[in-house]
Amino acid sequence: MGALGWILGLLLSPWVFVPLIYPGLVSAFAVLLFIIWFERKLAAKVQRRFGPYYVLRHLGGATQLVADLIRYLFAEPIIPEEADALAFVMGPALLFGLTLLPVVAIPVSGTFYAIRSDVSLLIVLALLTLGAAMTLIIGWAGNNKFSLIGGLREGFLSMAYEIPLFVAALSMAAAYGTLDLVDMVEVQAETAWGVALNPLAAFVFLVISFLATSRFPFEISEAESELVMGPFTEYSGIMYGLTMGASYLKYYVLCLLFSIMFLGGWEPVPPQLAAVPFGPGVVVFAKALALMALGVFLRAVYPRYRVDQAIRLAWHYLLPLSVASVFVSMGAAWLGLTGA
Amino acid sequence: MSGAGSGERTLELLIGPQHPASGHMRLVAEVDGDVVVRLRPDIGYVHRTVEKIAETKTYLQTIPLIERPPLADTANHNLGYVMAVERLLGVEAPPRAQWLRTLLAEMNRIHSHLYGLGIHGIMLGSSTAFMWAFGDREIMIEMAKRLTGARITYSYMIPGGVRRDLPPGFAEEMEKALRYLERRLPDYDRIFFSNPVTRARLEGVGVLTREDAIRLGVVGPNLRASGVAYDVRRARPYAAYPELDFQVVTRSEGDSMARMLVRVGEIRESIRMIRQILARMPDGPILAERYAKMIPPKWRDYVRETGRIKFPAILASLRPPKGAEAVSRVEAARGEAVFYLVSDGGPRPYRMRMVTPSLRNVVLFSHLTRGCRVADIPAIYGSLDYFPPEADR
Repeated sequence: MGALGWILGLLLSPWVFVPLIYPGLVSAFAVLLFIIWFERKLAAKVQRRFGPYYVLRHLGGATQLVADLIRYLFAEPIIPEEADALAFVMGPALLFGLTLLPVVAIPVSGTFYAIRSDVSLLIVLALLTLGAAMTLIIGWAGNNKFSLIGGLREGFLSMAYEIPLFVAALSMAAAYGTLDLVDMVEVQAETAWGVALNPLAAFVFLVISFLATSRFPFEISEAESELVMGPFTEYSGIMYGLTMGASYLKYYVLCLLFSIMFLGGWEPVPPQLAAVPFGPGVVVFAKALALMALGVFLRAVYPRYRVDQAIRLAWHYLLPLSVASVFVSMGAAWLGLTGA
Repeated sequence: MSGAGSGERTLELLIGPQHPASGHMRLVAEVDGDVVVRLRPDIGYVHRTVEKIAETKTYLQTIPLIERPPLADTANHNLGYVMAVERLLGVEAPPRAQWLRTLLAEMNRIHSHLYGLGIHGIMLGSSTAFMWAFGDREIMIEMAKRLTGARITYSYMIPGGVRRDLPPGFAEEMEKALRYLERRLPDYDRIFFSNPVTRARLEGVGVLTREDAIRLGVVGPNLRASGVAYDVRRARPYAAYPELDFQVVTRSEGDSMARMLVRVGEIRESIRMIRQILARMPDGPILAERYAKMIPPKWRDYVRETGRIKFPAILASLRPPKGAEAVSRVEAARGEAVFYLVSDGGPRPYRMRMVTPSLRNVVLFSHLTRGCRVADIPAIYGSLDYFPPEADR
């Protein structure tokens, strides 16, 4: 009993709970399994099909992704002879791991977090940029022309979207007067949600989260009809599964961040959840999931842009808009709307 | 990949034949960064020697063979071939058969255009346009099944007429189908044709000028999108087209968007034509008198009651006069199809020449892609409605 209690205590300590359970690995996998199924189901609904159907028929094929995961696990991972084997094998694992890394700095509630830092927003943003470099390496390692072009496209895009992403996020820091994500939620609880304070920054951040995670209409680096599978063309089995999951994972992290910065984080907490230390996290999770549902719905609406059009969009429109959002934040702070 | 010292700065990209969007062909693209310097279509992967096989088959057996290459557009090629055979034999189909042929040809045009639009959709990444078009194409396939008994390869038109008469209640069912299609077209417009992303991808991409279109001998919607109002149905009317009221849809822009919109306009015109055909269909026999009287007496009642032709034995061994030659042209869904037949007096064609619209449009690949972006390759490919098996034959 004592041992069980010790294990439970360890699991529930924020330093283990955050990276491992929520918002870390376990909930990330749950999100992956759910959102990809939901995306397929939603697109099927729009397209007048059934979507996933046979695996657990009574729940609309809800476990289809579990079946896919098992299939990926047992499929033969093929390493092309001409590939750079080390980079080729390590790439997907590092991409997946590094993409999930930013969650360590995301607070679950006002009192439950793995890292409390004055600059937790900067930590999350900095860790977010690591994944793109791995995509470049993956694109190179496969020794395939389509991989190479896909990797380069990802490189061009990340250069184009990272600056407006940072500027839009930091404009909110200017509005709230803090870089600490916990404080940001508290400021929003006292005044108004960030999306009302600075809708421009919210818009830029949202569009960039589609752009940064290959959601339609920015599904550019993996564009099937041009580049087969972009940087991931040569992958098979679970290595492919990891690369495919990574973009959803990045989207999950960005949606968590969006919920905290613009949608009031864990406020308002239902009283039933307030008693549990990590209870408020459920609210953030729900908001993030709703946002993800919006992003995956775009698949059914839009075709994809060309890479030069997306880059032009980022440099010509999103960057000036993000700079303008800084002034919106300053105006909101000057008018005393943020209480800072 | 070029070495740093070699002075080369282009990359040769082999798109296909094992590629999600290449179709049964290979596109050899030479790219400089994201810009296509040169693109060479490498065709012939699905060459099936249709012309040579036709020399070993009787005139009737060649009909199913003709239908295989242009798979989404079988009726129009069937019609073109049968018209050539009829000219060799000096037979003419009775008026009702002509109208039934036109009916199926226009149904097939709608089906083929939806097929092309769906493929274009998925090439641009719009899975919704793809699924919708392929789903709604099913309507015309089902109606064709009721008329002919087959979904895709109808072999409906035979020398001297058609195989089956209109089934009872067909006109009412078809009216429902047409109303459904008319309701759906605005949905397509909202989700795909007027989608800002679609427009950004297609407008001004792959522009074919009027002069180039004429010089290169382009046919079909691709030609009409460049402002040339050439349509065999109007220029050399055949079957029931002289009596139908329809417009030749043209656009002046000549870009990928225009090519797509011409097809959409043609779907609307085909809907109008099908309505006219069903309203004004003449009564009468569906097989030329010359062959109808050869149907064995015990089958004549069956043919009269069911409207289904029992082939008289003569159709299996048609022998056109020695040295006879015939050419026919039809406006197939993808453009003008030409058939040329030579007879040596035997039961098999001495020579059968089949010039399909895709064969004539393949030249556009290298012409339109010069200087475009890598991502424009599928956008232009899809807009041409190019079908490799049709070109390779």
